[in-house]
Amino acid sequence: MNFKITLVLVLLASCFGYGQQLIKGTVVDENSIPLMGVSIVVANSANGTTTDFDGNYTISATNGEVLIFSSMGFKTEQVTVSDATIVRVTLVEDAAALEEVVITALGIKREKKALGYAVQEVKGTSLEKAKEPNLINSLTGKVAGLNIKNSTDLFQSPEISLRGAKPLVVIDGIPDRSADIWKVNSDDVESISVLKGATASALYGSVGRNGAIMITTKKGEKGRLTVTINSSVLFQPSFTKVPDVQTVYGNGNQGQYAYSNGLGSGSEGGGWIWGPKVDQLDPSTPSGFFETTQYNSPTDAAGNLIPIPFTSRGKNNIKDFFQTGSIQTNNVSVNWGNDKASYRMSVSNVYQKGIVPNTDLGNTSFTVGGTLNPSDNFKVSSSLTYNKQYTDNFPEVGYGPTNYLYNLLLWTGVDVDVKDLRNYWREGQEGYQQRHFNVSYYNNPYFQAYEYERGYDKDNVFGNVAFEFNITPELSIKSTSGINVYSLNRTYKEPKSYIGYGNKSLGNFTNSDSRYFDIISDLGLKYEKSFSDNFSLKSEVAYSNYFRKSTIASTQTDGLNIPGFYNLANNAGASYIATNREEKDAIKSVYGFIDLSFYNAFYVSITGRNDKVSTLPKENNSFFYPSVSGSLVLSSLFTMPNAISFAKLRGSWSRVSEGKIGEETDPYAYIQAYDKGTTWNGNTSAAFGTSLLAPGLEPETSDTWEVGANIRWFNNRVGLDVAYFEATDYNNLIYSPISDATGYESILLNGDEFKRKGLEFVLDAKPIETANFSWNILFNLSKFRRFQEEIYGDREQTEGFIKVGDRTDKIYADVYQTNTEGEVIFENGFPVNDPYQRYIGEDDPDWTYGISNSLSYKNLNLSFLFDGRIGGLIYSTTNQKMWWGGKHKGTVNQFRDDANSGVSSYVAPGVKVVGGAVSYDVNGAITSDTRTYAPNDVAVNYINFMQTTSNGHNTNYHYYKESFVKLREVTLTYNFPKKVLDNTPIHEFSLSLIGRNLWLNSKVPNIDPDSGVDALQAPSTRNIGLNLNVKF
Amino acid sequence: MKNYSIYILCALFFTVSCTKIEDLQDDPNRATSVSPDLLLTNIETKAFNNVSLNSALASRYLTFTDGINENQYYNWQQASFANYDNIKQVHKMIEESEKAETEVYSILAKFFNSYFITELTMVFGEVPYSEILATGEENYTPVYDTQEAIFLKVLNDLNDASNALATNEELILGDVIYDGDKTKWRKLINTYYLRVLLMLSNKTDVASLNVIGRFQEILENPTKYPLFDSNEDNGALVYVNIQDNRYPLFNNNELQTAYYLEESFVDRLKDLEDPRLFVFAEKTPAAIALADDDFNAYDGLYGSAIFSDNAAKAVAGNASRIAPRFYNDPINEPSLLIGYSELQFILAEAVARTWISGDAASYYNEGIKASMNFYGISEVSAYLAKSEVQLTSAIAMARIATQKHIALFLNTGWQMFYEQRRTGYPEFNVDGGGTLNEGRIPKRWLYPANEATNNAASLKAAINRQFTSGDDINSLMWLLK
Repeated sequence: MNFKITLVLVLLASCFGYGQQLIKGTVVDENSIPLMGVSIVVANSANGTTTDFDGNYTISATNGEVLIFSSMGFKTEQVTVSDATIVRVTLVEDAAALEEVVITALGIKREKKALGYAVQEVKGTSLEKAKEPNLINSLTGKVAGLNIKNSTDLFQSPEISLRGAKPLVVIDGIPDRSADIWKVNSDDVESISVLKGATASALYGSVGRNGAIMITTKKGEKGRLTVTINSSVLFQPSFTKVPDVQTVYGNGNQGQYAYSNGLGSGSEGGGWIWGPKVDQLDPSTPSGFFETTQYNSPTDAAGNLIPIPFTSRGKNNIKDFFQTGSIQTNNVSVNWGNDKASYRMSVSNVYQKGIVPNTDLGNTSFTVGGTLNPSDNFKVSSSLTYNKQYTDNFPEVGYGPTNYLYNLLLWTGVDVDVKDLRNYWREGQEGYQQRHFNVSYYNNPYFQAYEYERGYDKDNVFGNVAFEFNITPELSIKSTSGINVYSLNRTYKEPKSYIGYGNKSLGNFTNSDSRYFDIISDLGLKYEKSFSDNFSLKSEVAYSNYFRKSTIASTQTDGLNIPGFYNLANNAGASYIATNREEKDAIKSVYGFIDLSFYNAFYVSITGRNDKVSTLPKENNSFFYPSVSGSLVLSSLFTMPNAISFAKLRGSWSRVSEGKIGEETDPYAYIQAYDKGTTWNGNTSAAFGTSLLAPGLEPETSDTWEVGANIRWFNNRVGLDVAYFEATDYNNLIYSPISDATGYESILLNGDEFKRKGLEFVLDAKPIETANFSWNILFNLSKFRRFQEEIYGDREQTEGFIKVGDRTDKIYADVYQTNTEGEVIFENGFPVNDPYQRYIGEDDPDWTYGISNSLSYKNLNLSFLFDGRIGGLIYSTTNQKMWWGGKHKGTVNQFRDDANSGVSSYVAPGVKVVGGAVSYDVNGAITSDTRTYAPNDVAVNYINFMQTTSNGHNTNYHYYKESFVKLREVTLTYNFPKKVLDNTPIHEFSLSLIGRNLWLNSKVPNIDPDSGVDALQAPSTRNIGLNLNVKF
Repeated sequence: MKNYSIYILCALFFTVSCTKIEDLQDDPNRATSVSPDLLLTNIETKAFNNVSLNSALASRYLTFTDGINENQYYNWQQASFANYDNIKQVHKMIEESEKAETEVYSILAKFFNSYFITELTMVFGEVPYSEILATGEENYTPVYDTQEAIFLKVLNDLNDASNALATNEELILGDVIYDGDKTKWRKLINTYYLRVLLMLSNKTDVASLNVIGRFQEILENPTKYPLFDSNEDNGALVYVNIQDNRYPLFNNNELQTAYYLEESFVDRLKDLEDPRLFVFAEKTPAAIALADDDFNAYDGLYGSAIFSDNAAKAVAGNASRIAPRFYNDPINEPSLLIGYSELQFILAEAVARTWISGDAASYYNEGIKASMNFYGISEVSAYLAKSEVQLTSAIAMARIATQKHIALFLNTGWQMFYEQRRTGYPEFNVDGGGTLNEGRIPKRWLYPANEATNNAASLKAAINRQFTSGDDINSLMWLLK
């Protein structure tokens, strides 16, 4: 479909260019260095172009027309066309404009030097080549303080935290509370501005309390009609990390295995991978190998299973089952603009084929956007996007029989060949019973891929309209409105005999529909005045109104009559299981700000906002909060040493309150009411919730202060930005735990206090810059900590054992008892559980970093990004289950062979108690300990030992160091020279080799720690491909 | 032009700003008030749902082979206060009952509160009751009450409930146990009352409780205090083939893969040639060729054995799994809060203890018969005639407990574990070399860990009052002293 559209656009694009005078030339700066990317338009026409890498341009114009040359950081130059066909232009640096302009809250463009808080910008152009299916993933490592944890699974959103909290996502000035990044296509992104911390986003109100990721889409630029085609394809040919399992022992338990009926019990060994050795020679069998009955054994005349060789047929199961995934993205956009209007439309399609057979993801967007300036004092801009995300099947994630790796690798012995499982129905029971070596605990991976289908179909519409009308040159009236709308249909098709956790399916179909609508409208007055060269003022006051409504309704069958027929009408049960929910909430606000600037060196900004929310009880649902920030440009006030080209200090303080309870969207959490109880044989019932409600709930509040400095050296070639912040979160709306004996688990109240602290460094440098060669480096580094400042109710510690002053990410885990020397205590040869959880380490990394490099030589550009984290712990389910189930390579040893032959030979290093006793206080501290010890000398069965301990005491209970470094992104681009393209309709043409996730180094065995959690993740894939970018 | 633009601006803005905050402050998803019968249904599905695999492991009915299980190997630690949530639901039922100006739900509430708090105190010893929020006290750190105080209130409440129900003429709606039959409710409450009294068999000398006198009062006034007459009267939740209403172990994968019958239990049934073995168990894989009613076709794993020995025996095909109906049949068998057969064994024991007069053997035989009937076995006389079965006074306590143990297989929650804890019968083996509590059967569970954070002072006081060695699974609670 996309190709047709492309064709039409190509035809359209070739319609321009009628006979005029052809003007050529070069644009240079004052030092005669050619300037690329200078925009050249013919005044009052749609005709325009930009200079190429060497500063050359070609444009057609008629005598007397005016050419306008403009480029960021330079004064605009106008040249009237005469008879000369070669026009060389020198642009003069504009000292005032040299300073970078960034987009801040509410889409207001501000000079970076005036900002009293940290903002970091990522240009859309850096996102358009090595693409991720989810735009946010592409920001990994590019912004200090923004920590993105990428999932290895298909269609799983990354975990985003900015300074340790989840930031707001804003698209074109409109907050997107549904935070669906999948709906934004990276080709449509002009820039992404990350507003770090509460001050930066205070104008968004409570929802912007944790900072914001501001996505600005392309709106159409002044200039000639251009058509851009951007296309890429990425393949996933190999894995960066995949669990490394033993291939010596097969299915079974205690070294025994004989298949009988697939139920897993008795000689089938309960689903363990602690079976006999594979490939064992046995001269007494026909094959010469050890033989036993298996799920694919032939039967004799009497119907008995015939033993077959027990060999390592499944060594390549991973390679055999997973296919090469791919991501294809295509985008066509049309852009046009002049002084009065500009317009852009874009069509995108992303198609991802999963590594699991029969899984994929489609994502299609149509965007239109533009601006109108009907008169000098009136400006309108708008954009509208329709986006569709669709798949008939994408994999379920998380540990359990719904996970592919669980069935394929973790819980399948090397004696099973996945290729043989492609016929996944048991003969004669098609539709009713899957065929697998164990049908009690596991799913045949092919059965799962082709029969257990999870569909997803989401239609998104979002857009905005903004007006600005100048009543006087200083005073204008402004209005912005934006909507986010979606409807989502999800289906779950569960075949008969599908294994869930502890449950075998009767066949089921679930249909779930969600609808979402939100609208936000702001109406305000803006006043802007420069009183003198040394003093100017800018201020706004506005009224804002937000409203959301969302509904979800879901219906499920209770078993299916006809297998494989997924329709609610096929319900086998007496009734449907159905739920629905409706949520509405609103916030009405008044806000304003004043920005003052003195001597172009000293800047102050004050904001204030009052919210009235529907998500708190009426008494306390209206509240006010302010912020103040300032910036001092030292380099403008004092004479700096020659090396320093710019120096600035900044500081800010803000208070932001929020009336939302908990992480979820539930706007009614402050209302106590009955939930639905168990319906018994048609009798409905009710049950009361587990939480009490304190009277007089107030909004929760964060006070944040931040200081920073920005220094640039050597003619701006090296820059360092440092930020330090402290945020105090108090009056938190928490579910404070109370004694379960009250009948309630907790009480919702304002309590607890936390402090967040962080440090961020951004270093950028251009070590080399010559006419033909340049090298740019950007280095981001950040650290974040959160501390418990107060526990509600004057308690010694929280339920998670955190005391006042402690880091809140301290991990306490179930461990074994140890003596004072730290030796593990054993009883009967097995370690003794500690009745209390013990401290084991911290979760958060010490540092998060990213280093990107960009090297350009003539038409060639190479950029690559390394990023990673240092410190912190990750709990690895994969590793724990590998030790437990018998798949870990560490389990290949003599003790295991002994256990297989019935000998208990494993004496774990440690001690046993030979006398005395220990007692604890209620918090688990030892009050008296008279125990005496002798070395543990009880030999136990190695297999049972591992099945009981998972080797936890030797692996820090499976909390591993999370440190890693990743080669995240590599792009090698060749820009075709202008002269090659001269005789074609093509203006720009570039071809890139792209790679993502190419290399990983970490100390965690078997998993990619990037996602920060491991609930048996999919193998981490390497993505390699091509990108093609053509501009007509 | 100028005016026109402003109109557009304003129109756009005001079309969307008409919703009042106050209009959005009711939850359309949840009811703030309900009729009490809706709460009753939910409470019943909690109180009568008593199928527990953990209890079956601790009570030596079953064994587990997917790892060392703390219930089987007796090294458990904390238990939970989850039953307080049920007490809260009962309290809400009383509130709604008062709003609706009915009384009958408040009467039933006394029974349910008594049941749930008894379950709690049996687990831990002292627990909070008099000051808990659910009974109307505004106290987030309730003190722990002595077992004597708790049982006194329980006995009085049960007695009150029985009496009040006899005169109440309101309808009971939402009742999925007895469908509103008040006589059956009275029978249940009185029968349960006798169980509680029997649990206090070590405390017959506590004057305030008057255990024996209360027991006699019930037996002496059969019209005022009717008891179960047959299995028809059982306090039973009957499962239905509807999602969430099915037998809780239906389609349970672990049950058919990792659980096996316990050897001493199987041996006992084999010794007695008890036909209930065939409804409890499946033949061992090694004996698949033998007839279903051949006792030699069944075997189990020894509860306290070294774990690897059990695993090896199971892999060798020499252990019986539970009968397939437990995981194949969505209805299987009802779950009992208390049944007719248990009542008969309670009465037999009361005679044996000389609390009441009567024929212990006939109660005992009736109990066995009721249990057999529960499992669909009608021919019982031959079994009753066996000398290994017959009740003789010298070993009455052991025989009654042994038959109670068989009758409560994978049913009635943790009751059998408590019975064994009280009487020592039947013996639960700890001699296999695998147990992890120095060969002891724990007497209780540790208090929930979060009580130390949320109710520290009350918890410490309760522990110091009861146990010299702190919060320990082997300490004796007042009830057992």
